[in-house]
Parts: sequence; structure tokens; C-alpha cells
Amino acid sequence: MKMIAVFSLKDRLKHIGHLDLMRAMQRALRRSGLPVSYSQGFNPHILLSFAAPLSVGMEGEREVMEVPLSAPVSPEEFIRRINEALPPLVRCLSARQVEDSHPAPMSQLGAAQFDITPRESAEALLAAVPGFLAQESIPAMRKSKKGMVPVDLRPLIYNLRVQGGRLEALLALHPSGTCKPDLMMQALSEFAGLPEPALYDICRTALLTERFAPLEDA
Amino acid sequence: MDTQKLAAIDRLLSRVEKPARYIGGEMNTQVKPRGKDTAAFAFCFPDTYEVAMSHLGLKILYDILNRQPDMLCERVMMPWHDMADHLRREDIPLFSLETRTALHEFDLVGFTLQYEMSFTNILEMLSLGGIALRGDERGQDEPIVIAGGPCAFNPEPLSAFIDCFVIGDAETAIVEVTRCVKQLRLAGAARVDILYALLQIEGCYVPSLYEASYHEDGTLQGFAPLREGVPATVRKRIEMDLDEASFPESIPVPYTEIVHDRISLEIMRGCTRGCRFCQAGMLYRPVRERSPEKLLALAEKLVAATGYEEISLSSLSSGDYGQLAELVRGLMDRFAKDRVSVSLPSMRVDSLVKQTLEETRAVKKSGLTLAPEAATQRLRDVINKGVTEQDILRSVSDAFQSGWSNVKLYFMIGLPTETDEDLEAFADLARLVTGAYFAVPREQRAPGLRVTMSAATFVPKPLTPFQWAAQDALPEIKRKQALLRTALRPVKGVQFNWHEPELSVLEACVARGDRRMGEVIYAAWQRGCRLDGWREHFKFDVWLEAFAACGLDPDFYAARERGERELLPWDFIDAGVTRQYLWLERERAMAGTVTPDCRDGCEGCGLRRFDGVCVP
Repeated sequence: MKMIAVFSLKDRLKHIGHLDLMRAMQRALRRSGLPVSYSQGFNPHILLSFAAPLSVGMEGEREVMEVPLSAPVSPEEFIRRINEALPPLVRCLSARQVEDSHPAPMSQLGAAQFDITPRESAEALLAAVPGFLAQESIPAMRKSKKGMVPVDLRPLIYNLRVQGGRLEALLALHPSGTCKPDLMMQALSEFAGLPEPALYDICRTALLTERFAPLEDA
Repeated sequence: MDTQKLAAIDRLLSRVEKPARYIGGEMNTQVKPRGKDTAAFAFCFPDTYEVAMSHLGLKILYDILNRQPDMLCERVMMPWHDMADHLRREDIPLFSLETRTALHEFDLVGFTLQYEMSFTNILEMLSLGGIALRGDERGQDEPIVIAGGPCAFNPEPLSAFIDCFVIGDAETAIVEVTRCVKQLRLAGAARVDILYALLQIEGCYVPSLYEASYHEDGTLQGFAPLREGVPATVRKRIEMDLDEASFPESIPVPYTEIVHDRISLEIMRGCTRGCRFCQAGMLYRPVRERSPEKLLALAEKLVAATGYEEISLSSLSSGDYGQLAELVRGLMDRFAKDRVSVSLPSMRVDSLVKQTLEETRAVKKSGLTLAPEAATQRLRDVINKGVTEQDILRSVSDAFQSGWSNVKLYFMIGLPTETDEDLEAFADLARLVTGAYFAVPREQRAPGLRVTMSAATFVPKPLTPFQWAAQDALPEIKRKQALLRTALRPVKGVQFNWHEPELSVLEACVARGDRRMGEVIYAAWQRGCRLDGWREHFKFDVWLEAFAACGLDPDFYAARERGERELLPWDFIDAGVTRQYLWLERERAMAGTVTPDCRDGCEGCGLRRFDGVCVP
């Protein structure tokens, strides 16, 4: 069996990288004494996968991971024991037990929701949103293994709205197309006529399926 | 720090390389409330986070200070150049990881001196931390700046910048020093009176209470206390019983990858082998072991507290630990099921036990590292590395037969009495090692032979039998490196590594520097030198400018043979081993005479003058 767990990562911990988080989670699992599974080979490591890596600098409100277990554990016990072992700025919020054959959360990903708070030029950015979205296409350059490639962000921005002084963005996160929030903010800054891309704080608030259902329920 | 600056730090972190270096909040770090009576200690490591967090001493002292109800200890490390520049530009003081408290707000600021080439980082950290660089410029409310660690055994190059050095084992001393400083600060004592009080604590050296004078030729003429009641010699502190000495049961677990990301269990302190180039071997005498029972109990707690997957047994010469096989077996039995591996670094070639090798391989596969130091028996006898060619070949054969194909061999070049014949012998030894691999039947050996031979440049260090020796001058070092490259190129399966010789020359200057060397360090820092230990930041030409500006010659410090009677800047430090014994060892070195391990009989190094030391 395996556990699909939702966790949050806050505050200073936004500065750690994906591999750092992976290590921290594996060590927390080891401290917790939960019946985890190990990989084979000379340097066995705990099997664990995150639905989507969180970029450095980004907080996560409802991140999703999958933890294969070697013995049954109730979701309540899983949550209690892992939270005792985790650093305070990472919290497990919920967990769901599924069969081994259950599809991996990563394979069900379709979109992600972000809260973006500009640190500067907020008014200009927020005012530019309607015009920004009215464009037929939003050309940008995306980094890929083959170098920089052109991409049209417009169809990948499912929703972008102003909420108080913040932006709420619903962006594609899928093998067939992904809009990284920094690319969108760069394009928005440019559209708003800012000389340089605006700085902002960002939190990924939800991971969703292609049908915009919470990923952890898929 | 005010909220505006705290917010600025947060913004900075999004702009610097590896921000995880600066965030704190790692598992098992301590955030203690600071009351008026709390002694606040900033443990400063003058290198980057990755190096600092790999250092066992930091974890031991961090734990000890935070266990005291009336003390707190927070960590401060050398920021990378991008962060340092941002801090300076935005006028944000260097801060502690735990609570982002400015360095100058602590009661004590303590540096650990592990490496001479980190000394400019100390100036950079003091400067960034808002603390006057020189002890005599510090105001009443500024922290007392202390320093310890192996490089404190020649404290003179830093004497202008450090208020008080703590010489020797610090477990007990650091608590005494911290309590003394805090009590006197609370009582409103003047700085000079605090320093005078520190002097009463064994192992403490207060440089401002001494004066040095020089001969015309630049050598030291005199060194003496400035006032009555100041001792003429400073004796190092020793923790006699390691089972009694404090060792952490829980250590911080970094998020970001560090150099040694594992549990380090100190099984033993000190080494009796008596290698004549080795400063640690002289400084950390006598040999003291932790009991296997104590170590197993510590390992149990540390694994539970950290979730680490590897335990490394640490000491100067782990193969000499009395009950190594029992200890390794005990750790294996206990932890194999939890997939915790055990590794044994710094094994001497002659102490390698085939069985131990096989046991460690049972859990994790790692390479084999040996340090023959010199390629001929003659030169190994000179340096008292009691290892024969047979020992080396037996060790690598065992390793190859046990399934290793990756062997690292460490050497030094420029050792006293070295000739080109000693260097040419590298290739012969390399061929013997690769031959040992090919002697193992193909189906039994692991594929992919890789023999790495690294040659460091010999740096004569204080308080060793070679403290009087000249280092090779730079062109000679370069010639020898080229000779080795040529000799080793045709040997199949061998890779040759060497170090930047300029760095070793400077290390030699600073290691045996006097008070005037402090001015060179200052001048180099003023000209922008910092992070010198990092190749991309090391500016040899700027250091040479700094020497010139101070009217000093690097060759005087590095490449000069000292006479038997010359007063050495660190002669007032009593490190246990006497100057007479060191000279005797030097004479034996020149004669190529070996001194046996003193476990088999006292050689009279001087440690027995200390109460309770080396008594069976």
C-alpha cells in the first residue's frame, strides 16, 4: 500500500531546493519510524515521490507526495508520526491510503494554483491584468534541454485574477504544456511597461488534476 | 535587528546563490530565549555553511553551550561573496542563523581556527558584524572576541584581532570563559579587567597582555608579559576522560548538502604514531579513547534524533582504536536493519584490517583511501611514517580482492631531505599498486580500476619536529610537480592530482607567522582578500602586495630554515610536547631514524608533565 499525503512548506523553508526537501522528508520518515520502503542497491534510499518539484523561493500550501509503505498504517497515525519528526515549518495536513496499483499523483497532474504578491509596482501590475489576458497570444521563451524555445503562454494561463493586492493564477502544469509563474510574471511586467521584471512573493496554493479537482483526491 | 532590516534579509535571500546557507531553522537547532542574565555566544566558523556544518567541534560546543541554562549559542558563518557584498551595500550586519541577531549584539564572539587560509574571513566577519577589528579599538559594549582550535596553537598572527585565545580542548574551558565574561559584563567590569580575569582560566592566552620584540634580522628577540601576574607560558587544556567529556546526543541536520553530511562519532582523540610532519598528532596528545559502550549509546541517540543514514567513525587514526572490530560489529549489528552504514575515514595503511574492510562493505560501498605520504622507505623513515611498501601493497591487494577498484593515495612533496629519486619512486609505487589490481583474477575483481594519487605541498607547522624546516620555494615546488606529472603520465589507471602551490606557500607563512603577520593579513583583507581557501577567490598577487606594503618577505616565513636557538613566536605555548623533544625528533629525522609508537613504551615527549596523563 502507499500513502498519498498533503503537506505545507512555509516561511524560510521556501529557500531550500527540491533535493533538499527530498532529503529532509526522507530523514523525517527515518526519524518517525514509519514502515517505509527502500530502493534496492548499494546505497538504498527511502522510496518517496513528490507530485511536482517546488521551485526555490516558493512556499507550498498543499503539496502532494506519495510514500510507499511496507506495512499498513492508518492515515491518522501516519500524520501524527511524521509531524512529530518533521521540522516545524513543514507540516503534513492530510493523508490517504491507496493500493499500490493506484496511479501516481504525478501522472494525474494538470494544473497548479498560485498566490502572487508583488513587492513593487503592484498597482501597475494589477491594473495590467485585464489587458494582459485580452491578448490572443503571449509569446515567451522557455528553457528546455535543447536551449531556449518559444512558447505561447496564453493558452496555458487558465485563470488570472486580482484578489486584494494579490494575484491568483491558475496555470497549466502538464507534460504537454506548463506555464511557470516566473515566465508569466515576466510577461506581465513587460506588458505593464515595467523596465525590469517585478519582484514578488509566491506560494503554490494547490495542485490540481486536468479537471481541476484536488490532486490528492485523484 | 529592526523589522526593516529583517525584511531586507528576506528579500536578499531570493537574490543570492544557495540561500539555504542562511536560513537556519534546521532540525535540532536551538532557539533559546535571551534574558538579561543570559550569556549569548556567537559560534563563528570562518568558512561557508557547507564547511562549517561538517565540523564536529562546532556541534560539540554548540551543544555544550546550549545545555547551560544561563547560556545560549547561535551560529554565524562566513557568507559567500555575493551575500557579503549585499550585506555591506544594504548596511545589514552579519547575523546569526538562529534568530538573525547582529554579530555585535552577542556577549561573546568565538571563532574556531581550523585553517590558516580562513584568517581573512575572520576580519571580514568582524567587519560585516559591526565589530571593531582590533582588540584595542573595541568599545566597552562590544563583544569579547575569542578563538580556539588547532591554529590557535600559534595565535600570534591573529593577536591584534582576538581578545583571548583558548588553547587546547575546549569542552570545559568554553563554559568557564563564557560564564566569566558574562558575570563581569553584568557587573560592569572594564574590558581590560575581563581579559585579566580570563587569564586565570587554564588554557587562556590574552595577547594584549604580552609584548614581542624583534632582532634586526627580523627574528624574534623577546616575548614577555606586560604586567605582573601574567604567566610567561600558557598551558593547553586537556579533557582527560572522553567518556566524561560532553558529546552531543542530537546534532543539527542541514537542509542543503554539506561536505560531510553524516553522523560523526569521535571514537578517539590524539595519536601516538608520531608522524613528524603532522601537527594534529602533536597537538592532540595524549591518546584518549571513548568506550564502545558509550559510543553505541551515543550512536543510538544520534540516529534517532537525526535520521542520518551514515555514521562515520572519526579520529586521527581510527585503525588504532583499541576495540575497533568490536565497535564496528556492534554498530553493524544494531544498525544494519535500519540501513545505517558505518564508514571509517583516516585509516592508516598499516592498521587496515581486512575483516574490518569487509564489514563496512556489508552495508555501504565506498572507496579506500591511504596516506603513504612519501614514495620511498628512506623518506617515510624521515617523516616517521612507520609504513612499509609491503604494508601499502597488502592493503590495496586486500581492498582489490574485497571488491574495491577505487583507491586514493595521498602524498606530500617538498618534505625535508627529499630528492628527485624520492619523486621518481612515485611511478614505481603506482605501478606496484596497479599491478596488485591486475593480479586479482578478472572475475574476482571489480571493473574500472581508478588509482588517484594526490600530492599536497608540505607545509611546516608549529609544534612539530619540522617547525624549524624551510619549505621549498615556489619555483622548486613547481618543478617537482612537473616532474611528477611527467613520471606518472605513462602509468595506466592512475590519475595524478596536485594542489595550487601558491596557497601552500601562504599557508606556510601564516602558520609560522609572528605578530607582524597580522598586519599582512589585515593589508590583504583591506585589498579585498577573503575566502582565500576557495580557488576562485584566492589572489596570490594581492597577498604579495600586502607583504610588500608591510615591508615583509614571504620567504622569511616560509622558505627559511630556523636555527636551534631561535626564539619561535609560539614558544610560550605549552602544548604538552616539549621543544627539546621536538628538536630530538628533528635530529632523528635528519638521521633517518624511526621512533616507535609510544603505546609500546614512553618516548618522553613531555605529556607526562601533565597530571594524570599517559599513566597506565
